[in-house]
Amino acid sequence: MNRDMPTISIIIPTHNRSASLLRTLDALRVQTYPLQQVEVLVVADGCSDGTVEGLRHYTAPFALYFIEQTNQGAAAARNHGAAYAKGQLLLFLDDDVEPTPPLIKSHVRAHQNRPSRVVIGPYPPVLQGRADFINIFMRTWSETKFLAMRQPSHRYTYRDLLSGNLSLEAELFTRLGGFDPAFRSCGGEDYEFGVRLIKAGVPFTFASDALCYHYNHETTDLDRLFERMRREGHSDVLIGLRHPELRPTLPIAHIEAYCASLRYIMRTLALTLAFRLPKAGDLLAIPLRRVLDLLERIRLRGPWLWLCRGLRGYWYCRGVAEELGTPKALNGFLRNNPNCANIDATESEIDLHDGLEVAEKRLDEERPAGVRIRYRQQSVGRIPPQPGAERLRGVHLRRILATEFAKPLLKALAVEGTTNEFINADHLLADFKRAVLCSTHAGDVTDHALYLERPNKKHIQKNQLI
Amino acid sequence: MATAVLDLEFEKLPPEINGLDRYSQALILIRLRRQPVGQTLLPIIDGRISGFEIRDALIDAAGWNLWERWIYNYLGLDSAQFSNSKFPTATVAVCTRDRPEELKRCLEALMRLPDDGQELLVVDNCPSNEATRRIVTNYGRVRYLREDRPGLNVARNRALRESQHDIIAFTDDDAAPDPDWLRALVRNFDDPLVLCVTGLTMPLELETDAQEWFECHSPFGRGFRRTVFHSFNLNPMAAGQVGAGVNMALRRNVLEFIGQFDESLDVGTPTRSGGDNELFARILAAGYRIIYDPAALSWHRHKRTRKEVRQTFYGYGVGVYASLTRSLLIEGELSTLKIALSWFCNSQLPALIRSLFRRSRSVPLDLLLAELCGCAVGPWAYLSSRKRLRTKE
Repeated sequence: MNRDMPTISIIIPTHNRSASLLRTLDALRVQTYPLQQVEVLVVADGCSDGTVEGLRHYTAPFALYFIEQTNQGAAAARNHGAAYAKGQLLLFLDDDVEPTPPLIKSHVRAHQNRPSRVVIGPYPPVLQGRADFINIFMRTWSETKFLAMRQPSHRYTYRDLLSGNLSLEAELFTRLGGFDPAFRSCGGEDYEFGVRLIKAGVPFTFASDALCYHYNHETTDLDRLFERMRREGHSDVLIGLRHPELRPTLPIAHIEAYCASLRYIMRTLALTLAFRLPKAGDLLAIPLRRVLDLLERIRLRGPWLWLCRGLRGYWYCRGVAEELGTPKALNGFLRNNPNCANIDATESEIDLHDGLEVAEKRLDEERPAGVRIRYRQQSVGRIPPQPGAERLRGVHLRRILATEFAKPLLKALAVEGTTNEFINADHLLADFKRAVLCSTHAGDVTDHALYLERPNKKHIQKNQLI
Repeated sequence: MATAVLDLEFEKLPPEINGLDRYSQALILIRLRRQPVGQTLLPIIDGRISGFEIRDALIDAAGWNLWERWIYNYLGLDSAQFSNSKFPTATVAVCTRDRPEELKRCLEALMRLPDDGQELLVVDNCPSNEATRRIVTNYGRVRYLREDRPGLNVARNRALRESQHDIIAFTDDDAAPDPDWLRALVRNFDDPLVLCVTGLTMPLELETDAQEWFECHSPFGRGFRRTVFHSFNLNPMAAGQVGAGVNMALRRNVLEFIGQFDESLDVGTPTRSGGDNELFARILAAGYRIIYDPAALSWHRHKRTRKEVRQTFYGYGVGVYASLTRSLLIEGELSTLKIALSWFCNSQLPALIRSLFRRSRSVPLDLLLAELCGCAVGPWAYLSSRKRLRTKE
């Protein structure tokens, strides 16, 4: 393979969005990568809006092919495109993104000298002025996602595998069997592909400069959002059937998270309506959908968010119900976890007393699924194996320690004394011991979390008085 | 007696602080490795505070913040999430009007910022003499702009348009930013949804009763935890909670996405204040984010006399209600009514009651009533200010 200047096939599945597709193609004309190394394959998935005719008359500075198929969904369309692709690299783009000029070059650079990986590029929504609540909601979701993935310490999960701006070697794609066409139009095939990539130990890379802008505000509204939630219900069941160890991580196992308050009542309500009384549920959902418009008009964000969450939860349950049928089947789905033993359970143990760098190096060498952390005799905590997440790397360690194990780590350092060369560290720890250990009964030193929170609350009240 | 304002680094605490004979107590800003982690109020006895006392009090006051900061240092992490990227260059803008002495202190503080190539800009708003220009010429790096239309928001808009860089940090002329201030502000602009960053503002001095009342009733500080605000975790109409114009930085494309500062608001118009709040509210309402980062520290010199503070409180009342009026009438934000009500019930009414019963740390009644009068005037002030702006145009 020509590593410096590989050939690249760009695969764009499209379904009745000819104007948007032309914007994507136009943006590909002005790439900084030599266009003779590029071919573009547009897969028209059951298009009836003249997409194909439009392409016939499109003159492109790169090789442009189009493939027609009956409506079979994005997964089949991407596989179809990949089957015809001749490039060493495959780059999947959505038809509603606008690539920036360095897109292809950045993808290629991310693959250079680091074979067999997937490279994900950001495609945040194009920014605009005043947006409606639903677009604010969606924009916040995607920017938060990309911001998190941009952190070097991010631990990837299968839900980071977004297929709108994604590249990998053609050989790797074929070896893993491509996307699962059974997902048809319900989406989620990218997540499922992500699971297989993670299981195969393929590293994920985020290339922040491989940037596209997403024009999803043109196509997002509340009705489509709810429809998408319903499809997500379908696709999550499919993912759970193929990878049973992921069932506890799927949103269906945490339906109550959709409800801001009255969680368990709302959960029962959504599930009952979706599984037993779908007609009544749909009848109720229609006027509630109108209430959302009203709430937006008088700009009441809190109630809007609450109701929107509830309706999203309902439509998600509806999707799950359509796939599983009965509440009994749902219980079976969540309880029967035949492949629990399948969870990748290699765990190692690190002692932070050896130094953070040593601990990081060990994680990089061993790549365990989970790890027990201690500081000499003191236990700091355990990062359990997490289904659907990549194995641990050294770069994950500090961030996880800071966010999840700060208190036990402090306690361990205070009890054991530290050997690092921080100025006055011993004094600080002596103070910490005094502040923490002396403020409680000598007996319950084990439950550190409890007594650290108490002075904090007191402090807040004190501050407000000033 | 007055309150001493002290700025103490936790790792370099002096064994004893003395020479504070003029003061009865001390407001102490606690820092760990230059980052503010908390504040506390300590009594001063015989003009001194002993080191032991300070240490204990600081640990108690800073609480978990101190240890969290410590553990981040131990792990070699920055508490702002985004420490890995290169920071953009910024413009610092000072909007001023006939306050050359205050401006001088502010510029002195700005000279202490590390040189990251930032542009320094003074917008002289409708000056009555040449004093400001003369002072600015003493500072070679500072660019002077004269804006003849009166109004703080007019001057701010001018700064937004004229700045060379995409991030514009604003400080008032009566504030003195800390050397780390600008860096702490700009590093938060990593997220494209962040259009505004605000920082912690502490009192520069608490020498008079009036200054203490100000700090007690309407402090600029918003706590010691970095917070990301957006319209789904904070009602945009309560945007006063994110900070104040004395210590804020904006991305220039705020002009494109949100629009400019409303020139019928803030100092120099009948509305007297509220221009910063109103822009914060629009930023949040449009779905963008504002970050409050206490690492971006500045010191504000509060007004010294009772009369000045009374006027300031009156001005705040007018400004807040003027900006709420704008949000209600122009943006159609119904929840302004709820915010006005909850401000009264949760803050103004309790302060009145404390004052009536002469509780400790209460503010004199005339100051509180001035604020309430301002609230009553606010809506009309906004309408007349708007009308005046239109007739001028």
